[in-house]
Amino acid sequence: MHKKNSEKLWIAFFVSPAMAIVVSIILLPLFMSLFNSLFSWRQLIRDEFVGLENFRRVFFTEPYKTRFSNAIGNNATWLGVTMLVQNTLGLAMGYFLSRRIRGSEFYKRIIFIPVLFSIVAVGFLWGLYLKPNGLLNGFLKLIGSPEMARAWLGDEKLATFSIIAVNIWRWVGFPSLVFLAAIDSVPTECLEAAWMDGAKDRTVFFRIILPLIVPSILIITVLTIVGSLNVFEQIYTMAGLDGSPNYSTDTIGTLFYRTGFGSVDSGNPEIGVGSAIGVIIYFLTLAASLVSIMSLGKQEVEL
Amino acid sequence: MRIKRIAILALVATLALGNVFAQKTELNFWTWRPEDTEKYQALLASFEKQNPGVTVKISAFKNTEYNTILSAALAGGSGPDVFQSRAYGGLETFAQSGYLEPLDAWVPELKGFDKAPLGGATSIKDGKVYGVPFASQTLFVFYNKAIYKELGLKVPETWDQFLANLAACKKAGYQALANGGKEGWTLEVMMGSLAPNFYGANDFFQAVVAGKTNFQDPRFKGAMDKLKELTPYMPDLFMGVSYTDMQASFINEMAAHFVGGSFEAGYFSSQNPKLDFGIFAGPVAKAGDPRHVSVYADGNFSMNSGSKKKDAAAKLLKFFASKETGNFFINELKQVSAVPGADTSKSPYIKEVLSLQKFNTPYIFLVGFRYNQPTGSALFQSAAQGFFAGTLSSADLCKQIQDGIATYYAPFQKK
Amino acid sequence: MSADLRFASASTGKKILVAAVQVFFVLYCLLIFYPLFNMIMSSFKTTREILRFPFALPKSLDFANYKTVLVDRGFGRFFFNSLWMTGTTMAFVLLFGSMAAYGVSRYTYRLRTTVYLVFLSGIMLPLKAAVIPLFIIMKRLDFVNKPISVILIFIAMSLPSTIFILSGFMKAIPKDLEYAARIDGCSDWMIYRHVVMPVVTPAIALVTIYNSVPVWNDFFFPLVFLQDQKFKTLPLGLTNFFGQYSTDWSLLFTALSLAILPMLLLYAFMAKYFIKGMTAGAVK
Repeated sequence: MHKKNSEKLWIAFFVSPAMAIVVSIILLPLFMSLFNSLFSWRQLIRDEFVGLENFRRVFFTEPYKTRFSNAIGNNATWLGVTMLVQNTLGLAMGYFLSRRIRGSEFYKRIIFIPVLFSIVAVGFLWGLYLKPNGLLNGFLKLIGSPEMARAWLGDEKLATFSIIAVNIWRWVGFPSLVFLAAIDSVPTECLEAAWMDGAKDRTVFFRIILPLIVPSILIITVLTIVGSLNVFEQIYTMAGLDGSPNYSTDTIGTLFYRTGFGSVDSGNPEIGVGSAIGVIIYFLTLAASLVSIMSLGKQEVEL
Repeated sequence: MRIKRIAILALVATLALGNVFAQKTELNFWTWRPEDTEKYQALLASFEKQNPGVTVKISAFKNTEYNTILSAALAGGSGPDVFQSRAYGGLETFAQSGYLEPLDAWVPELKGFDKAPLGGATSIKDGKVYGVPFASQTLFVFYNKAIYKELGLKVPETWDQFLANLAACKKAGYQALANGGKEGWTLEVMMGSLAPNFYGANDFFQAVVAGKTNFQDPRFKGAMDKLKELTPYMPDLFMGVSYTDMQASFINEMAAHFVGGSFEAGYFSSQNPKLDFGIFAGPVAKAGDPRHVSVYADGNFSMNSGSKKKDAAAKLLKFFASKETGNFFINELKQVSAVPGADTSKSPYIKEVLSLQKFNTPYIFLVGFRYNQPTGSALFQSAAQGFFAGTLSSADLCKQIQDGIATYYAPFQKK
Repeated sequence: MSADLRFASASTGKKILVAAVQVFFVLYCLLIFYPLFNMIMSSFKTTREILRFPFALPKSLDFANYKTVLVDRGFGRFFFNSLWMTGTTMAFVLLFGSMAAYGVSRYTYRLRTTVYLVFLSGIMLPLKAAVIPLFIIMKRLDFVNKPISVILIFIAMSLPSTIFILSGFMKAIPKDLEYAARIDGCSDWMIYRHVVMPVVTPAIALVTIYNSVPVWNDFFFPLVFLQDQKFKTLPLGLTNFFGQYSTDWSLLFTALSLAILPMLLLYAFMAKYFIKGMTAGAVK
């Protein structure tokens, strides 16, 4: 009984400082602002309680209906492509780095550098590389296929993918390093035993390494979900708040911001509808994260 | 005895307070133009000299974040005493929320202002004036005089002449038009510069605002088709050409024309002082027709209704409504001041802009349809990107604008 | 050693694979260095040169821009402000974050999942969304225009992901280590400090760099909460180069090149721990 009490005190000691800050600075204002979704608004002044009316408007009335489904489709693209390309690439990179291929010490020190760039620099520099007479099109001309040249950021079909590609360039180092750290902490005995038994690299990877790094896969998955459903800065700097061209890069993040705060030059923020979109993002992200935590959590191997 | 003491105390307090007021009042002033801060400081120094006891602290914010920050500060019960406010719909947000002080009584000078710029400072709800307008902007075509001279071109009057000039420039290896479509708003500027003469300028504007016609009117659709005729003269893969690219190609004399607004000139000259550019109003169908340009009020200076220093703030606003500020806008910022009677003699460019304003029409979506979401501008900008890229027809474009505005605009709803 | 991809005895297929991986890494490095190089070179050009010949080398390596930015535009002070604000933020984030991660990953108790979810839910929406209520809270606390406002916000912003990542790594530590220490009479704090923390060093390095970059680069919260010139931060100074219709790319790139330096240094320093982590894993 006494032991139990001291443990409770220890838990409180460890958890409460962070809890106090997160609750008062993040959750409180966030819920205050989400609460706004239940009211109608007169410009910046809260009017009257309208229940779920704002949610009805998001889902069932124009123009929000079209904008919302378009945006969420783009978020799905972000999630799919990032999961598939960035995280697979990151896993492969982490694996090869852990296998100490030649130069791995150097690569390890390099691959996170793109994250260090300010998003402003990323937006401008990649804008230069991807513009019609930019580096990429120049390169295509050089290798003799000028017909492949595109307006990478101005073409409705390509813009989202171009921005995702830049984002992968920027972030792939992160999953790489997470997986590297995880693979490196797989006990060497496990691997050695497998190799002694003559197991192939592929078998070792899929049978031993992968199951043991499930916690990091979980971390990366959840962060990818959060990142993909909240993507904002990348679009804002490379395509603008309107998800140019013609809403083809619009996401719920930009839609939310535009609706709740109004765009740059136009007035009348729709705070009620904007907050409703915020609530939707919030619970969507939470639900997707919980599903992945629960399904991946089952795969975890206790050491 | 006690009463006497209290009286003395009160007297001392009043004196002390009076002293505080006499000493110094510091006004906070916010602007969204960081690039002009240094110049503003010179102007404000002159104000401080004329109004001893009042000092002004200027804070400049990034244009794109300005509204958010201002909203947060005003909603949180603080914020600047005097600040730049957007015109039209942007003003409405803060006026209707009660954060702006009506200025009719504070700044009597406003009575002398033109109706057009005042329109951007007047609430459509209560008809009160909430700002001192600072500048108007005009949309037209910039052309490179050196290239015109080299190719022996004449300033076009009709649309056909304009197209012929573009073709000549293209043939000579120049980029005929600098304009691209990566940012939708540059397409809206293009529409504002070139379309009014084809959709019927003020007649159409008044009819559409009154709901007597709508954006599917053949006149408007026809004007859109005209705009599309320019695409062969726009840069290769123009949908990927950004505003910065456009400016760079005109400044570096690679492009012969730039469809833009009067606000560009300052930057053009500062980047390339040797650039010799001229301007002309949107061309017309046949010679002799009136050549309309779109005009809009750029923004205002407003007072925070929660300010504790309203008297000093009013002094600053009166100063902003004076000819000194007007001249400052013209000569220092190269903007068309909204102050009546400001002196344009030192700026031939402003004079020329004013002469183009002889036939003017409101910049249609900004003046008429930026009060609710989705704004006419947002609708146009996005759909125009589809239209210029070729994924939407002009009929689709017009329908999307019409349907979008009809979701809230009462005159479009009654059939 | 056994962890290497052994070239000598490797099959042709594996050799090709390794070669392809090498090509990939080299290309990726080029794609990293070129923009970095491009950015630094641009800081020596004028805005007009940047826009006209974005990929050309500057005419000369003239450091006048750096002087303008650091001295005339006051970036020396902004730089210093950013350093101490980011430093303070990260110190608290690592302390409180690792403690909380320890609290949710190394004990079993009824409220554990709830506590974990409360922390997790903090990363579900960017705090930018709540700027108006946040402003009202800060005003009530009388923190507006004081550095503590943005430091608190940055700490709060970084804590959820720190706790999330660290607790993932802490969960994976075998319980035996802890039991052994407990038998030796270690208190919970000592176990946290001397047993668990050393094992998760690579993860600490990871979250440090993962969270300090957004904190270092964020201009939005300082823009809203710090108006006083003497508290301005580096990214806030950057926003002054963005005009409504024009951007001073020349000075902007100068400032950006300066701004990335501390992050590069921090990263170079932290990268060491990834390698350390590797040996730690081997010992274990």
